[in-house]
Amino acid sequence: MAFSSPVPATERLPVTVLTGYLGAGKTTLLNRILTHEHGLKVAVIVNEFGEVGIDNQLVVDADEEIFEMNNGCICCTVRGDLIRIIGNLMKRRDRFDHLVIETTGLADPAPVIQTFFVDEDLRDELRLDAVVTLVDLKHVEQHWEAEEVQEQLAFADVLVLNKADLVSDADRAAIERRVRAINPVARLITSENADVPMPELLGVEAFELERALSLDPGFLVDEHTHEHDDAVGSVALVEERPMDLEKLGRWLSDLVAERGPDLFRMKGIIQLQGEARRYVFQSVHMLLDGDFDRPWKPAELRRTELVIIGRDLDAEALRAGFLACVA
Amino acid sequence: MATSAPLVSERLCGDLQQPISALAWSADGEFLAIASAGGELLLLDFLAGCEELLRGDRDSSLDVVGFSSDGQFLMAAGQSGELLLWELGGTGVRPLAMDSIPLGGGWIDAAAWQPGGLLLAVAAGRELRLWDGASRQWREPPLQLPGTIQALAWSADGVQLAASCHGELVLWQLCLGAPADPPLRNPIASAGLALAFSGPGHHLACGMLDRSLLVWPQGCHGQPWQFSGFPAKVRQLAWSEQPGRLAPLLASAAAEAVILWTQVKQGSKAWQPEPLLWHEKRINALAFAPGSTLLASASSDGSVVLWDGRGRMLQPLKGQGSGFNALAWRPDGRHLAAGDANGRWWLWPVAVPPRERQSQRAGAGFRSKP
Repeated sequence: MAFSSPVPATERLPVTVLTGYLGAGKTTLLNRILTHEHGLKVAVIVNEFGEVGIDNQLVVDADEEIFEMNNGCICCTVRGDLIRIIGNLMKRRDRFDHLVIETTGLADPAPVIQTFFVDEDLRDELRLDAVVTLVDLKHVEQHWEAEEVQEQLAFADVLVLNKADLVSDADRAAIERRVRAINPVARLITSENADVPMPELLGVEAFELERALSLDPGFLVDEHTHEHDDAVGSVALVEERPMDLEKLGRWLSDLVAERGPDLFRMKGIIQLQGEARRYVFQSVHMLLDGDFDRPWKPAELRRTELVIIGRDLDAEALRAGFLACVA
Repeated sequence: MATSAPLVSERLCGDLQQPISALAWSADGEFLAIASAGGELLLLDFLAGCEELLRGDRDSSLDVVGFSSDGQFLMAAGQSGELLLWELGGTGVRPLAMDSIPLGGGWIDAAAWQPGGLLLAVAAGRELRLWDGASRQWREPPLQLPGTIQALAWSADGVQLAASCHGELVLWQLCLGAPADPPLRNPIASAGLALAFSGPGHHLACGMLDRSLLVWPQGCHGQPWQFSGFPAKVRQLAWSEQPGRLAPLLASAAAEAVILWTQVKQGSKAWQPEPLLWHEKRINALAFAPGSTLLASASSDGSVVLWDGRGRMLQPLKGQGSGFNALAWRPDGRHLAAGDANGRWWLWPVAVPPRERQSQRAGAGFRSKP
């Protein structure tokens, strides 16, 4: 299944998904978004009414109702409450120009993300701008084993390492390395009291293919696999020989068919045999999206870079499958 | 094809500040209530030719509106999660606002008055609640569903109430005699987004999120027919009130396609689909003219289209370019109200062609004996 909508991105309303474990500072950040003078009219969908709320702002309560499709596979789950509430909200589209959705601290972000690609109305009326995950630098180590914490890190486009004033630089650096091992592609921001520059949060366009890998240039300096104890991790694959699109497409669709529930996000820039343009690619669980991008620049290092974030990844098998796609 | 006389030749219109979200006529055709996504509620007195704004623009959407069958009450609900009620005194008498009732179930977008009765069914989150206009109290206990109620519908005789959520469709028999039967809970594979009972025959249709349509036969017992392969979720349904040879005509809408369903025989492959293709964008409302097979469809493409009972387009009605959100036929079947995304409401007198009003029973003589 592809993620693209026939409706041009500029005609669709941007949506930011805000995740983070309990106490990470989501409410503080939401209130900052609502009060900040960014010139945007922001509507917010919260999971608990009352904590957030400023006069004349559109704040709507939702109850995280998961709709499982077919076989109960995570790849097919969506948030039914969002389909209904956003459907109602979109009648008032002229009243706001950005939507922020807060998830509960214990939520898996996948159903929220998938809702915007699977539901036909939401896909054509909105575009997912970015998944922003708040990390509580002071307490994250205590919750590290929680599946939700690792999923929230894995799905993020922007990671806000919050409460930096409450930890030492050494502790912060250690957490940053651990976070990076799970998610090497997200943009990292360090903050105190959830005080984050708004342009870093809103209008990120992380799901637009041409921006998919440009959030943190230089993240792929070397091919790496992060060895660690966490179930969730990442594998980065780099290849300078051009790839074969057909082989690569077949390998990726077999991979998601087989391992979809464990593959959280993939992002890649592909160098194809006999092709002057870059091919860019991303996925969320079983949803795949890829297209030709701009031509390679003369000074640019032409090579394929692919990052896979998931659970129980077999780096050697992934590398072998990847290398078999060389043209 | 010979040019026939237009069905619609004059129009009335007016404006609210915000997109029109819902329309409803009183049973006697005296009043038209118009609700907006900005929380406005306008009451038009059709006979007196005057209007009263019961609520102004207040930044909290109203999404459902309706009159009790005896015309005593008007209800509206929406984003605030409160039930709003007015007591009506007939033409020329100002409606009296009653205290609003908070229900605590979040955004309310489904509520319906009982045909021929005074019960008001309200979907409040996962609870199906009944307000009794006779006692002016809630009937306890409410009916619990396993998920948020997406749609509800009364049977034409006001005896059965259906509600659907993700995974379940509940049929609640509200017979006058107590004790009532326990509600009948049918598992469904996805979320039921639209529900409609046929007038004659009590068929029940349920439009589904998974791009399918379920139709239960007469009496709503047994296995439903299941139709799949729709281009999108099935979000709008309407039954014609005119009896068919078997079931009455059923219209469904998914994305920009209307499909007209005719039951041609009994058994498994009983229904014949007729796609009505004209709209270019999503269809937001479908309604048969009362007592007729004349169908109106309203679309985000900025048009309302009138179709005959065989699926032929009779006339497209253009608005001012904004998409149409809502439709409601006056009970006399001669006036069609519509509301658009720019806050404009329209009232079109419609000359329903006689053949759409005639009973199709003339063809019954060809039916083979069982």
